[in-house]
This record gives sequence, C-alpha cells and structure tokens, in this order.
Amino acid sequence: MGFFDDKQDWLAETFAQYPERRAALMPMLRRVQQDEGWVSPERQEEIGQILGLTATEVAGVMSFYSYYQALPTGKYHLQVCATLSCAIGGADELWDELVNELQILRGDVTDDGLFSIQKVECLGSCHTAPVIQVNDEPYVECVTKARLQALLEGLRQGKKLEEIQLPGKVGHVVHNRGDEVQA
Amino acid sequence: MAKVTVNDRTIEVPNGTSAMDAIFHAGYDVPLFCAERYLSPVGACRMCLVKTGAPRKGPDGSFILDENGQPKIFWAPKLAASCVTAVTDGMAIDTLSDEVKHAQSGMVELTLFNHPLDCPTCDKGGACELQDRSYEYGLVEKFYQPGELELPLYTRYEMTRRHVDKHHTLSEFITLDRERCIHCKRCIRYFEEVPGDKVLDFIERGVHTFINTEEIEGHQTTLPSNFSGNITDICPVGALLDRTARFRGRNWEYDSVATTSMDDASGSGIIADTRSGFLERIRAQERREVNEAWISDAARFGHDWVNEGRVTRPLVRRDGRLVEVTWEEAQAAIKAGLAGVPQTRIGIYLPGGATLEEGLAAVELAQTLGTPHRDFQGRTETPATAFLAASFDELLDAQFVLVLGDPSEETPIVHLRLSELTRGLKPASKLSHGTPIADLNIKENVPRDRSKLALFSPYPAQLAKWAGASGTHRPGQEAALLAALLGQGEAPAGLEEALEWARKRLAESQKSVLILGANVLNAPEAATKAKQLAEKTGAKVLCLTPAANARGLEALGLYPAKGGAAWTEAGPQAVYYGYAPTEEQLKSAQFRILHLTHRNALTDRYADVILPNQTPYEKRGQTVNLEGRVLPLEPVSIDNGEADGAVAALAVLAEAIGVKPPVRLVRQATKLLAEKWKLPALMGRWNIKPASFQPSVSSPQPSTPVYLRPTMWRREQLTGAVAKVVRVALEASPEVARAHGLIDGATVELETPAGREKVTVKLVQGLPSGAMYLPALGPWVGRSLEARILVGGEA
Repeated sequence: MGFFDDKQDWLAETFAQYPERRAALMPMLRRVQQDEGWVSPERQEEIGQILGLTATEVAGVMSFYSYYQALPTGKYHLQVCATLSCAIGGADELWDELVNELQILRGDVTDDGLFSIQKVECLGSCHTAPVIQVNDEPYVECVTKARLQALLEGLRQGKKLEEIQLPGKVGHVVHNRGDEVQA
Repeated sequence: MAKVTVNDRTIEVPNGTSAMDAIFHAGYDVPLFCAERYLSPVGACRMCLVKTGAPRKGPDGSFILDENGQPKIFWAPKLAASCVTAVTDGMAIDTLSDEVKHAQSGMVELTLFNHPLDCPTCDKGGACELQDRSYEYGLVEKFYQPGELELPLYTRYEMTRRHVDKHHTLSEFITLDRERCIHCKRCIRYFEEVPGDKVLDFIERGVHTFINTEEIEGHQTTLPSNFSGNITDICPVGALLDRTARFRGRNWEYDSVATTSMDDASGSGIIADTRSGFLERIRAQERREVNEAWISDAARFGHDWVNEGRVTRPLVRRDGRLVEVTWEEAQAAIKAGLAGVPQTRIGIYLPGGATLEEGLAAVELAQTLGTPHRDFQGRTETPATAFLAASFDELLDAQFVLVLGDPSEETPIVHLRLSELTRGLKPASKLSHGTPIADLNIKENVPRDRSKLALFSPYPAQLAKWAGASGTHRPGQEAALLAALLGQGEAPAGLEEALEWARKRLAESQKSVLILGANVLNAPEAATKAKQLAEKTGAKVLCLTPAANARGLEALGLYPAKGGAAWTEAGPQAVYYGYAPTEEQLKSAQFRILHLTHRNALTDRYADVILPNQTPYEKRGQTVNLEGRVLPLEPVSIDNGEADGAVAALAVLAEAIGVKPPVRLVRQATKLLAEKWKLPALMGRWNIKPASFQPSVSSPQPSTPVYLRPTMWRREQLTGAVAKVVRVALEASPEVARAHGLIDGATVELETPAGREKVTVKLVQGLPSGAMYLPALGPWVGRSLEARILVGGEA
C-alpha cells in the first residue's frame, strides 16, 4: 500500500498551497521522513508518480538537503557539523569518537536501533563549535569527549534531550542562544 | 533592434538578444562553458563575466551627457554573466579590460581546482572546451606573477584535488567521469528541454555534486531515452563520453566528413570520424533546418556494423561454391547467367537508403530494358509523394498536429521537433556567428502546451505525454479512426472522446500538420482517408517512411510498373538486389545478383553473383528527406575493398546484358538530375507534385496479427554495444499471451519476412488486446503478419 493512499486530504491541501504541482515535492518528502525516519526508494518512486517526476528528479532534490535520509536511520540520528568552524573545533575527532563508540559508519544503524550518524554541512552555530544535532532537536553545543559520552549515555537511558545533564561550564543544551554560552 | 557597443564596435541586434550573442555578433570572443545552442541559458558557470553599462536619463528625460556631448555610460558596479543578460538600446559591453580578464582567469582557476589534468588519456583531449578556454583565458601573467623575477602561478590551490568516481558506466553507450565534470548543467538541461526525458539530474550539492540517473538493479544505471548520445557532443569536458568510440583514436587523428545519416527519413546531418579506414565515431552536425544539433542514438551509436565482415570483392558461384573474383570476371558470370533471360523479366531492386543518383540509374536502366520489375526496399503501399510534404519550420508554426504512428521510433528527429512545438519555440534567428549561443527565448521547465498535439498509435507511444488527446488502437484500425475524424463513421470503442477532441481541434486550426506512420502508409484504405483528411483541412503531411530516401526514389519513378513485382513479392526471372531479400524471393528467381555489404547464410546459399556494395556512409550523392529537402551524401573513407555503389554495379549489369548503360558515373547522374529532373540545389526543397495513387484493397487483417512495430534500430546495427541494449522480444498483453499459451520469458520461434526468428516472450501491461508486437528492425515496419508461432525451446 502506498504511503499517501490514506492521506488524500492532506495531499489536496498541500497541492492547493502551490501554483505548480511539483512544488509539493518538499512537503511530501518531509512528511514521509517524519513518519518513517527515512525516504525509501519505494516512497521516492511513489512521490515521483504522484507528481509526474522521474525518480532521478526526486533523488536530486532529496540529496540536495542533508535533512532527507535515503538510508534507514536510528531512533536518534546524530548529525555532526563538519564545516569550517566545527572542523577547526575538532569535528573530525568527534566523528572518530562516535564511530569508535557506536561501531557504526554513515548509513549504518546500531544493533539496538538507537543511533545513526551523519556529517552535515554548517548548522549555523559556529561560535559554539563543534555542534551535534539530534534529530530535529535543539543543538548540543561545544561537544567534548566527556559531553559526548554523557549525551550517548543519557539517550541510551531513554532520557529526553533537555533532561540530560552534560558536564562542563557551558549550558548543557542551549537553545541556539549564544549569549548563555559566552557567559 | 537595439544598438549595442561592444568594446569599439557598434552593432545592431534584435531586442531580447543576450549580451553574449551581441559580443559574438560584433566579432569579439567571450569564454563560456554552460551556454549552448538550442538550450536555455542559465548562467551556471560564471565564465562569461563581462562589464556592462548603459546610458541614463536625467530628471528632464534626456540622456545625461559626458564632456564630449555623448550619452554618458554608467557602468554596472559588478560584472555580469553575459549569457543571461539581455541587451538594451545604447548598452555598452566591455570584454577587454583588466577587470574582465582578471575575473575570467579567476573563474578558469576555480573551475580547474578539482579538474583532473588527465588530458593525455582523456578522449576529449584536443577537442575540449575547457582546454581551449584555459589556454586562451586561464593564465594572465600579470595577475599571477608574485614578483618580477618569479614564474607566474598557475593555481593558488594547495590542497589535494577532490577524487570521485571515474569511468562510471552511465549506460551501455555512455561513460561518465565524475572528476572531470565541471557542473555546467548542459546535459541535464538537454534532457529536460530537448527530448523531454528527465533522466539525468544533479545529486548532492556543493563540492559533492555529481550527475546521475535512475539506478536499476544494484548500481547499474541506464538512460532510457532515444537521444542520450547528444550529451557526449555538448559536454564541454571529457566527463560524458561515447563508449562505442572510446579510446579508438585521438581527436586530431580522425578524418572527419560531414554527411547525411541514412538511418531514418529525417536526413540528419552527421559527422563521421574515421581512422585508418575504420568508422570510429559519429557526431551530430548542425543542420538548423532539419536536426538542429541533435541526432538519435541509432544514428550515433549504430555504426560498428560498417567495420565488420564486409564483402570486399565480387564473388561468383562456381561448382556450387562462392569464389572471389574480379569485377570483370563477375561481369562475365552475369553475362553467362543472363543469357536467354528476356530483358523484361529482369528485376532491379535498390535498398531504401539508395541515393537519388542510384535511383536514377535504376530507373533509366529499367526503362532501357523495358522491365516493369523495379522497386526499392521499404516502399510503403501508399507512396509518401501522394501527400504534400510539410517542412519542419511549418511544423513549428502549426496550430495543431495530428500524429498517427510513433515518431519517437520511426523518425526520431520528429519527436524533437514536436518537443519544440509543445514548448512554443520558433526557429532560432540567425546572427553573424550562426545560431544564438545563449537564446533568452528558451526557458527551463516550460509547461508543455498540450492543445497542439494529438496522437494515436497501435501501442503506447512516448509522445502521448505531450498530447492533449491520445489513444492506442488495434493494428488495422487506422482506417476506422480516420473515418471518425472525417465524420464518416463511428469511432472505435474507447477512443470516442479523444477523436472528438482531435476533430474539433483540426477544424478550428488554420495551420495543421498530419504525421503519418508506416502503419497508415501501409494500409491503403487508411491512407486514402488520410489524404481526404489532409485535403479537407488543408493540412500538410510528414510521412514517416521506413526507407530513408523514399520520397526521392518515388519521385524518380522507382516503383513497379504495371505487372511488375513489388519489393515484397517474388516474380522476376533474374534479379539484381541491392540488399538481402527474403528466402522466397531468392528461391523463385533463376539467376540472382546480390549487391551486398554483408553476407549471411541465406545469401550464401542462393546467390549466383555477389558484388561488394557501399554502405550509405561511403556514397557520394544526394538524398531527399521526409520534408522533400535535398541533402548531400559525402563519402567517408572506410576500408571497403573493391566495393562500389549501385550506379557502377548497374552499369556493369547493363553491359553484361548488352545495352549501353544510361548512367555510368555518379557525377553524370548528378548532372542529369539537375538538368532533366530540375532538382534544386542542396538544402532546397524539391517541389514534388503529389502523385495520384490507386487506392488498392487492403489485404484482410490476420485474426491475431503480429504487428511489426517500429524501432529506430535496424537489424544490421545489432552488433557490439547495440546488441546488448536492443532486445528483440515478442510483446503481448497478459490476456493475449494467455490466449495463445505464451509464458513470460519463454522462447518461441516465429516466421517473419526476415526468416525464422527465435525470440523471447515479454508480457507488457497496457498493450491493446488482439495483437502481438515484434520489433521490425527494418523495412517491414508497420505491417502485420499472421501469427505463426512455433512454440519450442525452454520456458
């Protein structure tokens, strides 16, 4: 059964928002991603058919945004910023640490189904580099080895992100507010 | 018109011209990578940066003047990409200042950051736009010389280059080197705009961007388009390369000859590249009126057969075996073989790709002999010359086009011109440098105008995607369909609405064009109705004939006279065939002269004399395309031994019979065509008076026909890479297959005009019930056979 078969109302509503049908590609991808964690080739095919686009076009748009996942993700998808400021701040070492700790690479999911990892382009929080984003949640900033360990431990215990106590001077999870960090 | 000053020259160009074209029109140069003729300009590569300025009006409404009393030019604060900048009246463009040169050399430096410098092993080397532009615009010493005594820096980039996938097989015909790609987007725009198959796109972004297509099975990819090869022509670097020509030679080693493709009736211009007597590569030649700058994959990739297994010397049957002889000995054998055969019982049959000169030689000889047996292979039951031909310009100008057939396979260039029609494009204007390179009238992702096209075909055709109304019908229903359009009868079930729409559009359009496939031309009743329809609506017609030169050969009179045997029939006592005919035809004749490029088991069994023939690539002469346009054929230097064309072979035949050959040389025939037949000069359109034809009675439709459906490929082309791509399968809808006890994937043997053929069965959803489909791969296209399936082999 298709993903959108029982969402005809939602589709009609979405199409109505745009002058062209193909413009609905983004919200449709987002919907699938939110519900299933990734957009499988079958879903890409389905979206292409609904919008009259080729699978290549859907893949082209999807791959432009690192948000859309073409591979299955874990419950917590850890996105490590690897652009300039974070790279200087130690994003590569952070990545190695993650790979060692979780024993996975990009595209894998840990056996318990909890974690998957990805390097992403600039998250726009250069002053608190290096930065990790978990799913759609606020950033985890100024990530050190110790803070990373605490973060993973907290997530494994099933805590919510804001409940996790991270060591270190700076605020544990900062809601994109640079002033708190600098304090 | 807008007056533009480029550096020191002032020119006038039409409004809406791009600054880039104004610069070329003025005779100056500007570097570019992403702009391309017939494609939309997008300003992706930023290579064509120039300084632009314009006069400005003061508060009083008059131009602000400089100290000399001339309108003062206000220069734009930043440089602009000239390909996406439209000219304005009074505009000034500067391409020579240091500022511009510095920016352009900076762009070359940026483009070369990650470009692998593997030019010595790159097939594009020597014909590469990036190479040329780097030399011309890349290094300007004064910007990159750190000190007076130091050498200039070629690049300031100090990190390792990006390394990505090399030699990626995009399809059987095209290889992609992702390191070499400079992201100009030409190929992506080409697929979306020209053939309308959006099969290629950018994946990822930034420095990771690469082009890719749909993946089938694992990481294998394919380009499902009949026009994929054109991207190898327009790629400015060696990223997209023609696999059939890869590593065959360096660009400067090739002998390049501009000639005409005889693969279909479009008369596309091609450039044939040969090296040491082998045809190695075919590229598109720009022929604005016909194929613009594009050719079909069959015309481009189907050339390997020319190099393999050629007949290079005449052969004569002695003691039951074919032995190589000289032309003189072959002539003696013909003389002996024809002794006692009345001249009126000698048949002369040419291939569909014969030139006008050859056609003339055949007609004149047949008249001299008084034989009614003359024809050319692939002639349709109704002559194409029965209709007044439309030109491609008239096609673009039409308000409505009705297609009966499948242009994408029968004459692929028509598909591209219909693509332009639905995008509302008009023929490109011409500037002093030719076709505009950055034509601002062409846009990306234009919605297709579906009100201009209706399509009906015996199986689902590609072009239906742009048609306002379309439908599939059973083969043989064409006449009923046309009767409904004429208002003479009931529409076939299921097509009432579509036909009604088409009828209304035809009636309200002043200028309309009919496109008739071989299925209509081979059904006399349907063709008669099509002619009535054309006369009633004043529509001009494009006939998608299976023979490339059908219009020209018909106009010369190369068809059977009263009592003569057509190319589909057996009859004459002695025969000259310019191709390999059917077994029945060979069997029924007493003496057979075959003028062939390739032998096969059948010809080896029956031929009395085999003469070496030229392929259309090797011929000199003229041909006429489906518009009636006279086009040149130039000989390409392919090693063919002692092969000669039909003009020479027919002269040999005439002398063997004992008559004076009416035409002995190609040059003589060309002269005769110009003087006696009033053939216009090259590229002119031959005004052929519409032939009258006797509407013959259609032969009864087989109960379950096997319809020989058109493909752009021909049987002889199925070697090498082409053989891997073109799968000959008997296609049927699941219901038909069930009724005949056929299982998907089973191998069956089938009787076809080309002999018995082993094919696999393929079930296809959506095919009309009541018929099966087999790719014709040649001149028999558009006809139906009685299904005589000999089930055998393994399921």
